Amino acid sequence: MKNNNITNTIKTNHTDNNGQALVLLKDIKKVFFTDDVETHAINDINLIINKGEYLSITGPSGCGKSTLLSLLGLLDTSSSGSYTLAGHDVSDLNRDERSAIRNKEIGFIFQAFNLISDLTVAENVELPLTYRSDINSEQRAKMVKSALEKVDMLHRAHHFPSQLSGGQQQRVAVARAISAKPAIILADEPTGNLDSKNAQIVMALLDQLHQEGATICMVTHDPRSAARAERMIEVFDGKIVADQRTETPTAIAV
Amino acid sequence: MSITLDIKYAARLLHKKPVFTALTIFIVAIGLGLTLYTYSLLSNLVFKPLLLNKDTPIISIEAEFNQSHLFRIGIDPHDLLTIRNEMDSIDELGVYQERTSLIGNTQNNSVTRKYNSVNIEWNVFDFAGVKPIMGRGLKAEDHFEGAEPVIVLGYDIWQHYFMAEEDIVGSVVLADAIPTRVVGIMPQGFAFPMTAQAWLPIKQELLSPTDWSRDGLFAYARLKKEVPFEVFQQELALLNKKVVKSLPDNVRWRMDDFEGYLRAVPYKKANITQFYSIFITMAVVVLLILLLACINVGNLLLARVNERFKEVAIRVALGVPRNRLILQMLLESIFICTVGGFLSVLIAGWGLELSNTVFEQMYMATEQKPFWWQVSLDADAILLLIASVIAMIAITGFIPAWRALSGDFNAVLRDGTRGSQGKKAARASQILVISEILLSCVVLVIATILLSTSYSAGQADYGVDTNNRITATIELPVVDYPIREEGEFELADTLKRTAFYYQLKDSLEQMPNIEGVAFMSQLPGTGAGASYFEIEGRVAAVYNENPYSNNEVVSRDAWQAIGMRVIQGRDFSLDDISAEVDTIIINESISNDFFPDGDAIGQRVRRAFRNPDPDREGGWQTIVGVVSDTYHGSAMRTSSEQYSSYFMLDHIGYSSIDVAIHYNGSQAEAEKSLQHAINQVNNNATVYNIQSYDELISQPMILVSAISKVFLLCGVIAVFLAASGIYAVAANSISQRTQEIGVRRALGASDSKVMQLFMKKALWQLIIGLSIGITLSLWVVNQMTDTMVINQASYLVGLIAIPLLIIIIVLVATYVPTRKVVLMEPSDALHHD
Ligand SMILES: Nc1ncnc2c1ncn2[C@@H]1O[C@H](COP(=O)(O)OP(=O)(O)O)[C@@H](O)[C@H]1O
Ligand SMILES: [Mg+2]
Repeated sequence: MKNNNITNTIKTNHTDNNGQALVLLKDIKKVFFTDDVETHAINDINLIINKGEYLSITGPSGCGKSTLLSLLGLLDTSSSGSYTLAGHDVSDLNRDERSAIRNKEIGFIFQAFNLISDLTVAENVELPLTYRSDINSEQRAKMVKSALEKVDMLHRAHHFPSQLSGGQQQRVAVARAISAKPAIILADEPTGNLDSKNAQIVMALLDQLHQEGATICMVTHDPRSAARAERMIEVFDGKIVADQRTETPTAIAV
Repeated sequence: MSITLDIKYAARLLHKKPVFTALTIFIVAIGLGLTLYTYSLLSNLVFKPLLLNKDTPIISIEAEFNQSHLFRIGIDPHDLLTIRNEMDSIDELGVYQERTSLIGNTQNNSVTRKYNSVNIEWNVFDFAGVKPIMGRGLKAEDHFEGAEPVIVLGYDIWQHYFMAEEDIVGSVVLADAIPTRVVGIMPQGFAFPMTAQAWLPIKQELLSPTDWSRDGLFAYARLKKEVPFEVFQQELALLNKKVVKSLPDNVRWRMDDFEGYLRAVPYKKANITQFYSIFITMAVVVLLILLLACINVGNLLLARVNERFKEVAIRVALGVPRNRLILQMLLESIFICTVGGFLSVLIAGWGLELSNTVFEQMYMATEQKPFWWQVSLDADAILLLIASVIAMIAITGFIPAWRALSGDFNAVLRDGTRGSQGKKAARASQILVISEILLSCVVLVIATILLSTSYSAGQADYGVDTNNRITATIELPVVDYPIREEGEFELADTLKRTAFYYQLKDSLEQMPNIEGVAFMSQLPGTGAGASYFEIEGRVAAVYNENPYSNNEVVSRDAWQAIGMRVIQGRDFSLDDISAEVDTIIINESISNDFFPDGDAIGQRVRRAFRNPDPDREGGWQTIVGVVSDTYHGSAMRTSSEQYSSYFMLDHIGYSSIDVAIHYNGSQAEAEKSLQHAINQVNNNATVYNIQSYDELISQPMILVSAISKVFLLCGVIAVFLAASGIYAVAANSISQRTQEIGVRRALGASDSKVMQLFMKKALWQLIIGLSIGITLSLWVVNQMTDTMVINQASYLVGLIAIPLLIIIIVLVATYVPTRKVVLMEPSDALHHD
């Protein structure tokens, strides 16, 4: 599902939604107040992400990449601006409504894996599914199995995270992110804690997911990783300073 | 390697968190203060042997304790002689009989005053290792019949009654109206064997009796150095068997139901037999509090280490040696525990001072405070404090040090996260919470059951009206009212004594402010003797399968004066004195239970004896009246009798008896009237223990209710410790899991899902902690049932209210910190460290 309607300008100023946009951020600001310091982590960001897009976000440390991802993932609320996700305005939802959306529509992959150490691999993957009442345990088991198969970790289903290598843990985290078939996968430096071989494996996994139609938004400071996405956004000082399409994603070349 | 840097660093940390520092020091001070206080109290009152200037402990040899009325009982002089002659293990021994003496001045016939005195063996001063400050002590010859009556006076009598007269020694004073020569003055504070302020030689016939009698003597003794107390007890038990066998029938009442008679007890313990288990319980409770305090401080420090985990990881990365790291963790404990230790001395000192005041009040009326009931911090206590402080440093420092050493520092440094140290730390904090629940449950259940018992004992209905009543004990002077057992005098003597009481009654009742006067051997609400009785036609085969009743001697026309009623039949009358049949009055309970048809009047009962004359004919007494029920003995006691039988005073005429006076107007006026009336009838008679009826009843419970207040304090402290401790543990373990909560929230867990997760765990901890705690406290409480009756209401309060309170505390203590983390934005929670 490739979409070419988006004009690749440095300043995107879309106000209309042509029906294909999954994410629509408008005039988003985020200010942190610590002690006496005000940090303007996000400064007037406007962004549209279409269904099926593979997007990377790059920029120097502290420029606001993670903050932007948190806002996209409804892990935090913006100070001002509006956010429409899959056609619904999600800027003013309450805590539990946001939880429900995270659960169904968003899959997270963190730099530090963030598996729960007291749960087995399978239980970790199952966890987000247990928060839903519309899936019974049989279905859950099936979904866990297929997710683990996809990341090739089924053989470790009953291990605890501490018994796995970093790369394996991150693959489990990917399985967890995709188990509920979310509308968008958000990854914050997914390879930041991995050696290059394991990083390769995880990146290949993301490529594969993208190929299968998943919408992915990945923060990275590694230009080679960023180049694998079909669209690259560069953030500086809380602003989007570049938004371009990579005509030949490296993933295909590999 | 200088540790001054570490010290500076620790000081800076403590300074930076003043609330934390103050809280932990406070907890330590309370825990140690309470321990120090209880230790000093118990060691002074109970456990530290009484040595008195020598190095072998003093013991008491006496008869088996009367469990049903909580009396100490003396031994027959004849049997004491047997002990003296047959027991080689005894090094020194002396006998005594406590009493009171009216001390007077021969010269100016001024008012006499009653003092605690003792008839005692001459060796007492040598035994106690104390010499008179003037004159001499007693001599063996002083005991002989026909010897000049002599007395050794206490310092206070000399100072206050005799105005420190310089030539007091050698002068003649009045002791119970008998001219007696003062031979010595004892130093200030000397009151051995217990409360004595005047020492008179005991009669020779009590030292070397030829036969058994009704007298009871107590003995103080020291064992030979090489004989352990337990060995002596076994020897005495053997002798007891022999003595009990040899008792003639008419003195077989000396032994209790289990053939117990002679016993040896550490001297101090003998005095608090009935409170012993309460004291033990108190020690247990205080130890639990100390443990709670330790866990709390340890936990607070643990939370601190968790907060500083990254810093510790950096130190480890910089290569800090293991022991240096432990020292670093210990430094804070050392500071907190040491400062807390100093403060605890102040707390304990204050508590002990307060206790001394309570003891003064307790014994104000009776002047029966044992001389060693003066509590203070001694060297042992300070040693204990130092040991406790060291132990506390070890316990409170160990927990965080263990945590600091067992962490996965690589993970911390690599990921900037805490790493997965989950299971161990989680288990530790779970154990901490369960211990807090368990310990506080035990302390609180015991405290509330005790409190509620002593409260309801105070509220107990004794079946008498105590309003506007004063009570006192009256003692007739032996000189004017002799007790001669020879048949020819016996009746006349009895009548003479009785006449005094009825004269006093008449003279009082003529006064406008006096409504009525009752004489009774022991008034309801206090205890007296009890025994088995037989009902004619229904005598049980074995004497102790007969019913058991409390026996009192009562004057005619007494019931109304103390708010009792004659329900059936009549009161004793003058005709009963000379009548052929012996008469008795029973109470409603006996009538209801044994004469349910209401036909008690006219039936006959008599005392049941263990070894009666097989063809005993007489002794039957005809029931002439049934009176309302009263409760004899304190409500705290386990075996207060519900059945009471009343005998007529005119037949017995005790030389000392209790009186209750119903008055109108002021109590002080009534007391004056009593004193006035006594002086009118015979001014040598003594009246003492004058107090209101309410005070009389509360007397046996003063110590228990004072101790229950200590328990209450313990309870409040336990609530505080439990609440703050459980909060800290919960907050700590939850903040440990902040990231996990963040992950769960990121994955879409709703607020309530996350709350449930933690509340469920808290509930499990509650179930485990409470079930162990309740079982444990029930066991401890059961150990106390020999001292007091624990009523159902107290159990209800203790076993429902307390667990409920703890459940609320734990749920709130879990809810609040969990809520705080749950309310964090997931993005913050994820990056929390
Ligand atoms: N929770 C917070 N509180 C205060 N300041 C924050 C918080 N999170 C991020 N910031 C600040 O916002 C800015 C952007 O941070 P972040 O989005 O983490 O940057 P990065 O691009 O490195 O991921 C930084 O200056 C950071 O210090
Ligand atoms: Mg970042």
